[in-house]
Amino acid sequence: MTNVFENLNAGDGIEGPQFAVTRESIRLFCDASLDYNPLHLDDEFMKGSFGQTQFGGVIMHGMNNFGLISRMITDWAYPRDAVHRRLETRWVKPVQPGDTIRPSGIIRSKQETAKSRWVLIDVVVRNQHDERVATGEAMVEFPKAISP
Amino acid sequence: MAEAAAFETDFWKDANLRKVWDDIVPGEPRKTIPYTLTRQAVELYCRAVGETHPLYFDEAYARTTRYGGLIAPPSIHILLMFSCTPADDWMRSPGTINAGQSWSYNIPARPDDVITLQARALDKFIKRERLFVVHDNVFFNGKGDVVCSGRGWTIRPV
Repeated sequence: MTNVFENLNAGDGIEGPQFAVTRESIRLFCDASLDYNPLHLDDEFMKGSFGQTQFGGVIMHGMNNFGLISRMITDWAYPRDAVHRRLETRWVKPVQPGDTIRPSGIIRSKQETAKSRWVLIDVVVRNQHDERVATGEAMVEFPKAISP
Repeated sequence: MAEAAAFETDFWKDANLRKVWDDIVPGEPRKTIPYTLTRQAVELYCRAVGETHPLYFDEAYARTTRYGGLIAPPSIHILLMFSCTPADDWMRSPGTINAGQSWSYNIPARPDDVITLQARALDKFIKRERLFVVHDNVFFNGKGDVVCSGRGWTIRPV
């Protein structure tokens, strides 16, 4: 594993899992996250206007994107003895039932600090139309000494 | 601090008791409650995002890893945010729109950890006629170790 970090290069890609968004998947996320905001459940409520924004129907939790990106990062990091240390995300476009989304990442850079080694990854979630629905950055640590 | 009562899933209930944007004072701590993270809650969260890694499910496997036992996925804070705050917390106001979040991870949360939260609004501002609040959060395990810390940007309902 000692060569894993050295062998990574800027531009290397990471592919995440495809995720089919349904009313049931959104309801399951409500139960799992305890976030029962009517944005995710109530069609009547979602016919309204939200300040400058109209959605026209229920939307997936933005944090469902976050969970999928985090899953991609940990699935990539664990077999490399690396640790998922940070994730920052912004929601670009709402996701609704019927959409299919998939996260992916590209290594932007590597950096060594006094005590450890880091990989910075640009992440994105795209829908079935190849539109970006979420963007962000992740940071993965490749410890010199193994500890959680 | 007492453990949370049964979770109220109707976010409209007592919605009028929650702070609106005007009431939120940046820097003022939010009320929080301790929460015992169960294996069942971890597994339900994993199912919702399709997590299948044995570190979250297979105790025998997890014991052989650097983690020494079962852990929760880093993003379990998504659940902890709601389980560690009371029903009148403004994060539950219907129409609260999440604009983005950033989280740093220190050590994993584990099944049976008693999780506590220190949280506050950090900032509020108006941009393009939208009312924003930045929230700032740190989760701890029962030993007082930081599990993770994070910040989020929400657009408040008008």
